[in-house]
Order: sequence, then structure tokens, then C-alpha cells
Amino acid sequence: MRFLAGELTQQQLADELKVSRQTVVAIEKGNYSPSLELAFRIARVFNTTIEEVFTYEPVKK
Amino acid sequence: MSYQVKENIVNIFSGLLISTIYALIIYQRHQEGRFDLTEDFTTWGVIFIIFMIVSVIARIIIYIIFHIINAIALQKEEDIPVSDERDKLIKLKATRNSHYAFSITFASVFVFLAFGMPVYGIFIAFLIGGLLSELIDNGSQIYYHSKGI
Repeated sequence: MRFLAGELTQQQLADELKVSRQTVVAIEKGNYSPSLELAFRIARVFNTTIEEVFTYEPVKK
Repeated sequence: MSYQVKENIVNIFSGLLISTIYALIIYQRHQEGRFDLTEDFTTWGVIFIIFMIVSVIARIIIYIIFHIINAIALQKEEDIPVSDERDKLIKLKATRNSHYAFSITFASVFVFLAFGMPVYGIFIAFLIGGLLSELIDNGSQIYYHSKGI
């Protein structure tokens, strides 16, 4: 998604969102689920909806 | 290695270093007979108060040294990253883990007392429990920063 938005780097996206680069890395790797507020802010950066950025798969028990 | 991981490694080493050196000094003075830690509980209070002051001062010095070494290693001054929601969540979970560790130590002390541990053992157990919970706090932060939450 970052590449579609003018090849935005992780640091640039982090600065835009006012979070650390490590948080962007963790979200991209799937190691961290952002808060709803941050998810909205990410979607807003890309001018799209949350559903376009994030997908949800229930954990199999 | 991220700034947070480096900071926590420094915390672990400084915690171990300060506690070990202080404990050795106190033990040496006890052996020399300057005070009797098995009977005199007022001295334990003084020891803990001095330890808190020494610990804060030593940590400030260690932090300054860490920042100087870090700047030399990176050949520039590293900006301290802003604490975002993920950092706050990591700190919260690490604090929870350290509280578990200290609560277990606290409960264990009474079990050991019931089985005949001398009363001065409480203070030693609290010192060890405090150090252990600090190690778990910093260790948890390193783990969550590396593996994710």
C-alpha cells in the first residue's frame, strides 16, 4: 500500500501517523494490531477505508 | 537494534550491577561487625533508603554514559523516539508481568516465614524480589519489542 502511495517509506508513514518506525514495521509484519484510532489514521493517509487496508481472520481454536 | 531494546538492556545491566555492588558493600560491613543485620531492623530501613538514592543517582550516570557511547557508535546523536500506543501497551504488559513476579515473591516470603525463615530474611527476599521483578519488566519489554504483542 505504501508503494501505491508514492513509494512512501516506513519512516515517512511513521512521521505522518506520529508513531515510531518500529510500530509501522510491527503492523506490516502482523505482530501488532493497531488501535481503532490508529487504523482510521492509516486509512486516512492512503485516502481509503479501513477494510481496504486491514483484513480480519478469526483465530482457529 | 531499536532504541527501546538498547535502553532495556542497559536497565538490566545497571540494575544487576548497582544491586550486586551495593549488596556486597553491605555484606562486607555486616561481616566487619559495623552493624548486625540479623537483629537491627532500623538499619535495614536506612539501607533501603540509601539504596533508593544511590540507585537513582547511579542510573542517571549510567544513562549519560549510555547516550555518549550510543552516539559514538552511531556517529550521530540518536533521537529518543516518541512513546506511541504500542510502546505504552508494551510498558503496561511488562509492568503487569513484574507485578506478578513481585506478588509471588511477597507471598513466598510468608510461606518461608511459616517454615522458620528468620525475620531478616524478609528484607533480603524483598531486595531479590525487587531486582527479579525489574529484570522481568525489562526482559518482557525486550521480548514484546522483538516478538510483537
